[in-house]
Amino acid sequence: MTTAMRPSVPDPTRSTPAARGIDLVKVYGQGDASVRALDGVSVDFAPGQFSAIMGPSGSGKSTLMHCMAGLDSITSGRVFVGDTELSALGDKELTRLRRDRIGFIFQAYNLVPTLTAGENITLPMDIAGRKPDQEWVERLIDTVGLRDRLSHRPSELSGGQQQRVAAARALASRPSIVFADEPTGNLDSRASAEVLGFLQQSVAEFGQTVVMVTHDPVSASYAERVVFLGDGRIVDEMTAPTADRVLDRMKSFGD
Amino acid sequence: MGRAIVKGLLAHKLRLSLTAMAVVLGVSFVAGTFVLTDTISKTFDNLFTEISAGVDVSVRAASGFGEDSGPETARDTVPATLLDTVRRVPGVEVVAPTVGGYAQFVDERNKAVTTTGAPTLGFNWTEPELSPLRLRSGREPRGDGEVVVDAVTARDHDFAVGDRVKLLFRGPPEEFTVVGITGFGEADNLAGATLAIFDLETAQRVFNKPGRFDSIEVKAAEGVPALELRDRLQSAVPEGTEVVTSQQVADESADAVQQALGFFSTALLVFAGISLFVGGFIILNTFSILVAQRTRELALLRALGASRGQVMVSVIAEAFLVGLFASLVGLGLGVLVAIGLQELLKAFGIDLPAAGAVVKPRTIVASLVVGVVVTVLSSIAPARRASRIPPMAALRGGGVEQGGPLRRRSVAGAVVTALGGAALLYGLFAGGGGTLSLVGLGAALVFVGVALLSPLAARPMALAIGAPLPRMAGVSGKLGRENAIRNPRRTASTAAALTVGLALVACVSVLAASIKDASASIVDEYLAADFIVSTQQFVPTISPELAPRLAAQPEIGAVSALQTGEWRYQGERRTVYAGDPATVGEVLKVDVTGGDFGGLARGEVLVDEDELEEQDLAIGDVLPMTFARTGDRELRIAGTFAQNQLLGNYLVSTATFDANFTDRLDFVVLATVAEGASPAAARAAIERVTADFPNVELRDQAEFKEEQENQVDQILGLVTALLMLSIIIALVGIVNTLALSIFERTREIGLLRAVGMSRRQVRSMIRGESVIIAVLGAVLGLAVGVFFGWALVTDLDSQGIENVVVPGGQLVFYVLLAGIAGVVAAVFPARRAARLDVLAAISYE
Repeated sequence: MTTAMRPSVPDPTRSTPAARGIDLVKVYGQGDASVRALDGVSVDFAPGQFSAIMGPSGSGKSTLMHCMAGLDSITSGRVFVGDTELSALGDKELTRLRRDRIGFIFQAYNLVPTLTAGENITLPMDIAGRKPDQEWVERLIDTVGLRDRLSHRPSELSGGQQQRVAAARALASRPSIVFADEPTGNLDSRASAEVLGFLQQSVAEFGQTVVMVTHDPVSASYAERVVFLGDGRIVDEMTAPTADRVLDRMKSFGD
Repeated sequence: MGRAIVKGLLAHKLRLSLTAMAVVLGVSFVAGTFVLTDTISKTFDNLFTEISAGVDVSVRAASGFGEDSGPETARDTVPATLLDTVRRVPGVEVVAPTVGGYAQFVDERNKAVTTTGAPTLGFNWTEPELSPLRLRSGREPRGDGEVVVDAVTARDHDFAVGDRVKLLFRGPPEEFTVVGITGFGEADNLAGATLAIFDLETAQRVFNKPGRFDSIEVKAAEGVPALELRDRLQSAVPEGTEVVTSQQVADESADAVQQALGFFSTALLVFAGISLFVGGFIILNTFSILVAQRTRELALLRALGASRGQVMVSVIAEAFLVGLFASLVGLGLGVLVAIGLQELLKAFGIDLPAAGAVVKPRTIVASLVVGVVVTVLSSIAPARRASRIPPMAALRGGGVEQGGPLRRRSVAGAVVTALGGAALLYGLFAGGGGTLSLVGLGAALVFVGVALLSPLAARPMALAIGAPLPRMAGVSGKLGRENAIRNPRRTASTAAALTVGLALVACVSVLAASIKDASASIVDEYLAADFIVSTQQFVPTISPELAPRLAAQPEIGAVSALQTGEWRYQGERRTVYAGDPATVGEVLKVDVTGGDFGGLARGEVLVDEDELEEQDLAIGDVLPMTFARTGDRELRIAGTFAQNQLLGNYLVSTATFDANFTDRLDFVVLATVAEGASPAAARAAIERVTADFPNVELRDQAEFKEEQENQVDQILGLVTALLMLSIIIALVGIVNTLALSIFERTREIGLLRAVGMSRRQVRSMIRGESVIIAVLGAVLGLAVGVFFGWALVTDLDSQGIENVVVPGGQLVFYVLLAGIAGVVAAVFPARRAARLDVLAAISYE
């Protein structure tokens, strides 16, 4: 037990966290067959920070992300996105929250196959019936380097290009927080580097808040801060991670 | 392998039941038709047995039609003196003379009591031993002024023993006292007919048969066989009298009913066939989608060593099980459908007696065979596609159905469409035998061809139909439209099912509009009378006294009653019309093109000029006419007239008609306004007279046209109602396709929900797709239907239907309805899509 084991508490140097979970418990199933996917997790994600959630399979890292993002309900505890408490919201409000204040990047099947790359990027605003901030969208398109691919359907794009479109979509509505679930899980290292580089850049240049779930130490090293999960609990945290340090920490998980 | 099939089926109960639904509905229609017609047939058989219960032999006048006579044949009467002759024949135990005819009750509001199709009958009370009548209350009629009423009429019109009721025969209504209420055997009445029963003398008086009988019913003495008695009687009665067994009488009636029912049953089966045809499209479509969705699973089977044949058999076996299951359910529902059909027909004025539900083994076999065969046949193409899935596909992702290139399919579609169109047109215009089935085959081929072709049109048409969607429903609308075109083959074949139903609806709409147009112009072209007096009954029931009384009114100009009757020309069935020679030319526009009109007054016959030519006859020739009552007669052809749609091909005078037919009643009376009188005054004059004849209705030309149109609309309504089932099946097909597509797009819907699409927007997206499919099917159907309608109407040219009228407003209305139906079809799939659990959906494999 080292200081690294201390639970992640609110950082007094920063203002309201972009997302905050307090004593999160998530139980799947009932009785003997029940599984505690989250077992009292409290965590803050500061605005303008690139955080990674790491942990072995079954550690609860995806569950944590899903609960923080309003995709899954928690058994007990409290979840905030900005000032909004999620557990008080119904499906309609949650949907609106996801649409307006959260950006998503999934591991795969991120794009609607019937829409072009450009249409996929502005999809959340189109769903909301809002005009996208054209200048901002143009800037994103240039940053992900997809200007010449805008009118292509997803089936005509490579995996890396598809994930870059997804990343651009996640940022297009200027959400207060972006959740990325293994965004490079299906990509080769070069394509991964492009996507992660873009996420890093969005934090550095645009002050975007990004929370990424990953099991890959190299991906985690792009983040400013890594939260380690094991058996539904936060077991460690690391700032300014490098791939080697993360890998070392991960190796000790089995102990 | 077998276990895998059954397990697969059970794992997808919903999919299974939606697929089965299409077959269930079609089969239930087939079963329902059989059950209904068998039940009606059985009911009639029972009735006829009932009618002749106790009777062994009937003595009646011979018919000029000989063997070709039916129960409707208007025979001559026999003299009352024949009764003694019959009585004296050894072996005769009981005799009962019968006299009957038209007798219609008049209710307390002075309206004639009408039936829907069944006759209004009156006849004499006979020995209970020889009669099916069973008194429920009161007593039998004795003497003039007494009547016994059937239980149904009594109940419907509150006639009780002791009441005074009015009855119409051949003149103004007469008053009678109800002395009894009777059943007909066990039944309350005779297949919907109203019954008025009198004593013998009264019957002879009111039916104008003094000293005559219609027949003499005979019961044989103990131990005398009916055939033996028949022969003895036959040798005792004079020439022109025939003696038949009651069995033969019952058979004659049953044959007539069978013939009528056969036509009716065929017509219903055609509609059932259409439903099954549509069902076939849906099975084909569903299995195509299922095979595509199971590509991985089937490929895995192949990888594990299943042969192509085994994969193909597995799909066909699944279809067989679905078909069998659906046919069994459909068979069970058939009984309900039979009741529904009966109610539907009743609503359109066709009231058929049916007691209980007769399910013959034939019904069971036919339903099961038809259901299974349709399902299995429809699954062959998808099964073949399934067998071509390479084992390697197990490693790739699950796909959407592919199939051959669209070009090959389109060429095939064009060929099939052209063949179908050719068969249809040839069948219609070339004439000859078996043409009706050729027309049907042609129509079916056109549908298959259009279904093959439609994927080509599906994309541009769906884009056009869905054009307003993005503006109406934003991104949901846009996505709905994109979803409709992402798989044109699927969209097209789903829409094709609706195409069939709507094409037929459009076809009959064009036909109906054209007939209406024609009937209006027929009235203008051939009718000179200002007023038309007719009745609601199917058989002529207008008193012969009406026309002379109208003619006596000063405000009324020319008056002629028209009669119509059946005769035989060299054994072939023909109809003759009759009118007053002095006035028929004034109330109808009869254009005499040869000979002279005066021939009518001389007891000669006028013939339609085309008919004359066709029969290779000439003016002055003798036309051999055979009548039921008077046998072979020779009438001289006095002249020809140009085609008159209101008059048929042969015209004689009323006098000639009376000489050859029994107890005449007129089917219509036509009248013109007298010179100098106002139409209103003429109308008032007619109404003064018709007040005494509560069974008639008065119409002027405009009202008459309207009535004709109403009748056409009624038939259109009935046909549309019968086609509804195929349209409902097509909608089930849309539901099915949407449900399967949604299943396939689970992940995508999950993603849309995750990035903020609301449930309402998801529903709107599915609705958009559904509406596009429905409207696409409707538009294609209307196009095909207008073509069919055009072909049919053009073929009917000779029937006086000259202009093809396309009811544009009505067709647009159908498209709108299809759109609404699309919305309805989307309700269930849309709800399912909207309720998908977001998290489960995005992580769905």
